[in-house]
Amino acid sequence: MRQRHPTLPITLAELIRIEPLARARVAHLADPARRVEQVVLAENFDRLRRSTPHSLIVLHAEAATGGWSLATALNLAWERNASAVLVSRQVAGPSSQALAQRLNISLLGIDGDPVDVALQLAGQISAPDAARALRQAQCAERLAEQTGVRGVLGVLNSELGASVPVALVAGDVVVAGRASATAERPEVERVCVEVHGPGERPWARLVAAVPAQTPGAAQQVRALLLLARPSLLAAWAQTLLDSGTHAAHEQAAFGLLRQLAVAPGRPAAEAADVEAPAWNSELGWQVEGINRAVWLAPWRSAGEPPPELTHLVRAAWQRGHPNWPLIAEGDGWISWQSSADTEDAGPLRRAVTAFRGAAAVHGLVVGVGRPHPGVSGLMRSIAEARLVAHVARDGGPGTVRWFDQVGAPAALAWLPVTELAEVAELCLDDLMNARDRDALVDTVLAVLDCGGSLSQASQRLGVHRNTVLARVARSRQLGLAFDDPAQRLALHVLCYALAAVRSARPGAGKPAQEQEPPASGPTPG
Amino acid sequence: MTAGPGYIGMVSSIGAEDVLTLYEGAKFYSPAVGDANKASLTSWLTGLLDRNGPVTLRRADALPPHTPCVSLCVLGSGAALADLPPAGDEFALAVQRIERLQQVTFGAIYPLAAATVSALAPVAAASQLGLPLLDADGMGRTFALIHHTAMHLAGVSPTPLVAYGATGESVLIDAQSAPRGTRLLGANVDPLGGWAALAAYSTTAGVLRRAALPGTVSRLVNVGRLLLERTDPDLLVARLAAITGCRRVGRGRIVEFEQLSRPTDKTIPAHPSSLVIEESGERGRQFRIELRSEIVAVFADGLLVAGVPDVLCLLDVSRGEIATLDSLEVGDLVDVLVTPADGLWYSAEGLAMVGLASHGINLDHPRRR
Repeated sequence: MRQRHPTLPITLAELIRIEPLARARVAHLADPARRVEQVVLAENFDRLRRSTPHSLIVLHAEAATGGWSLATALNLAWERNASAVLVSRQVAGPSSQALAQRLNISLLGIDGDPVDVALQLAGQISAPDAARALRQAQCAERLAEQTGVRGVLGVLNSELGASVPVALVAGDVVVAGRASATAERPEVERVCVEVHGPGERPWARLVAAVPAQTPGAAQQVRALLLLARPSLLAAWAQTLLDSGTHAAHEQAAFGLLRQLAVAPGRPAAEAADVEAPAWNSELGWQVEGINRAVWLAPWRSAGEPPPELTHLVRAAWQRGHPNWPLIAEGDGWISWQSSADTEDAGPLRRAVTAFRGAAAVHGLVVGVGRPHPGVSGLMRSIAEARLVAHVARDGGPGTVRWFDQVGAPAALAWLPVTELAEVAELCLDDLMNARDRDALVDTVLAVLDCGGSLSQASQRLGVHRNTVLARVARSRQLGLAFDDPAQRLALHVLCYALAAVRSARPGAGKPAQEQEPPASGPTPG
Repeated sequence: MTAGPGYIGMVSSIGAEDVLTLYEGAKFYSPAVGDANKASLTSWLTGLLDRNGPVTLRRADALPPHTPCVSLCVLGSGAALADLPPAGDEFALAVQRIERLQQVTFGAIYPLAAATVSALAPVAAASQLGLPLLDADGMGRTFALIHHTAMHLAGVSPTPLVAYGATGESVLIDAQSAPRGTRLLGANVDPLGGWAALAAYSTTAGVLRRAALPGTVSRLVNVGRLLLERTDPDLLVARLAAITGCRRVGRGRIVEFEQLSRPTDKTIPAHPSSLVIEESGERGRQFRIELRSEIVAVFADGLLVAGVPDVLCLLDVSRGEIATLDSLEVGDLVDVLVTPADGLWYSAEGLAMVGLASHGINLDHPRRR
């Protein structure tokens, strides 16, 4: 149960949020946090001279004729330490505004009868809590009208004024509002309200920085932040719905684009002259230039990713490039950069580098294709990106592979190494039962990789040439007859598969590969 | 005039060479009036003094006490005077009307208000009638109404009075009370052409010794001489301070004019308006100058720092001369000068008659706080 202060004096900022002062023209606002203790209806200067500090002075009759009388009233109000001066709107001219600024006395121009206004204000000041409740009710109405996250934050910030900045923070990132709310400052009290998403999972929090010297301000700010919570959640859900629709739209459009590129009757590679349809630009896509595709894929493929993951990946990938597409395709996501220049990989390189952190967190790998022109070029680049994304899985989460750096060894990524290893169990029975089979497989793989050179293989393995020779002889006895041209390719592939399966097993001891492409590959032949 | 250049003190006569000096000094004590008719008036008076010789300036106590005296002034608007120039004989004829009515022969003329063109007219009449001019007047500056005088406060009646128009017509007014006389006169100014020569306050030199403000004509000549020298504004203000007791409230630039800036009443024939001046330098105060037929009050940041009956004027800093109220423009750099009026006007009766309250400003005068 929160503590209430029913008699805590109302502040100027609170009063100008509600009628009748909500309609007043603020000529100068010296200190919104200034407390207001009473209303003085001043018809002459003697009444002004007798006013007590923290009064709200409403001028009327002789004192409200403007010109010199307003100047005199401002001077007396300053002398008497008044909270603000209210005068008929017509009377407060530019020179009065300048004087109010100079004396730093709040000056408000009001419509209507000053006596009525003074009486209404006297009622509000005598029952501050009722006035606050009215303010909150009006604020709730304004919040309810908002449909976007930014709109909600806008209402909060305009309601609380410049001295109390409010921000919506997800993790450590300011999603909307004023970043100054999160800045460390002295004499500021931080008010935090958690905003929970579906299933009571924390989604974000509203943070406000309240000047510490105003008593009770933090409590009122908290009340307003709590009021804003439902509107925020509604706005967030709206965004989710919108992005779901958008994703479906993009997916369908990409499907059409692919059909265009591989139109029946001609091979995809020759379809460079396919014209990009107009609906591309409606989605913000560019395909006419040189396209370089990116394939984002889970490190361990586990079927189609959930929509929530798609949403997070989109948020991370499109940060800074909101126009780049992101299309869920199979077990990954496709995106591309289109530019006029083949060499212009800078933005993509930076985006990929920036994305690596998010990729590591979400367990993703990244493949980047080569630049190709037009729609069919895009499809080709996508195929390349997908290929290297598979290669990148060797490197663990966060790995990025560029097709330019990988080349033909990319083919190895598609080998069904697990199945091939099972074949080895059947075909190479003797070898698989040998206790030193790992050393034998590594040695034969090294010799085949090195084109039959025993000395090169011994250097690569770090053992003596005679050891290599002995192991090769023993392998032949166990069925690895790689001298036979008819068997050489099959044995090479089997050895590769056995080594790959072993390195993929946990605790196998082989370190995950980073950026660089594999140092060795099978040499045909 | 007998004194040489640089002489400051009592003046014993006014000659043709003193006319411009007198005009400048007269402007200092009532800066509201423009210079529209300066050339015609000064050349007329200079010609008159050239032909008739200088006019003798006498103190009231230098004349026998029973000497009959009458005051003269220009009634109505300066702009009307420019449109309808004087025929030249109105002032002398106005005096002669009262002489005939009262069957006296006046032995001296005195200014009703020694400021603006009303300071020049009595000199002209004295020259035409061959009479001495008293070095005394009824206001020591100008006020809006003709009963705002020291004579009225001393119990001297302004009536019978004669208003003589440039058209040759005249109005004779006899009333029980001075304010009634003012009222009846006000109704006749427009039909006479917007301005008229006024002869009033017929009395004797003995009464004027206590009822008029002494030395106010020679003061104009002394002040005028300083103003004509066109020195550096700071030096000018220091010299004026030595003679008139004036002080500078502040220097600033005009930033705004406001017309009809406060409620009006019908007693004083001029619109209220205001002038906002931003003070130069570090203090940067906001001066608010309230105007009517003259400068009524000066506020600094809303605090009343000077007001009528103080003589308030603006010194144009760039030109080194007194700025007339109809020549002011936004952007002008001016000094706000305050000169104390005669002590009489700060008495309770004086303030009740010509104080701030008479202009609708119900604040205590700074000199009485």
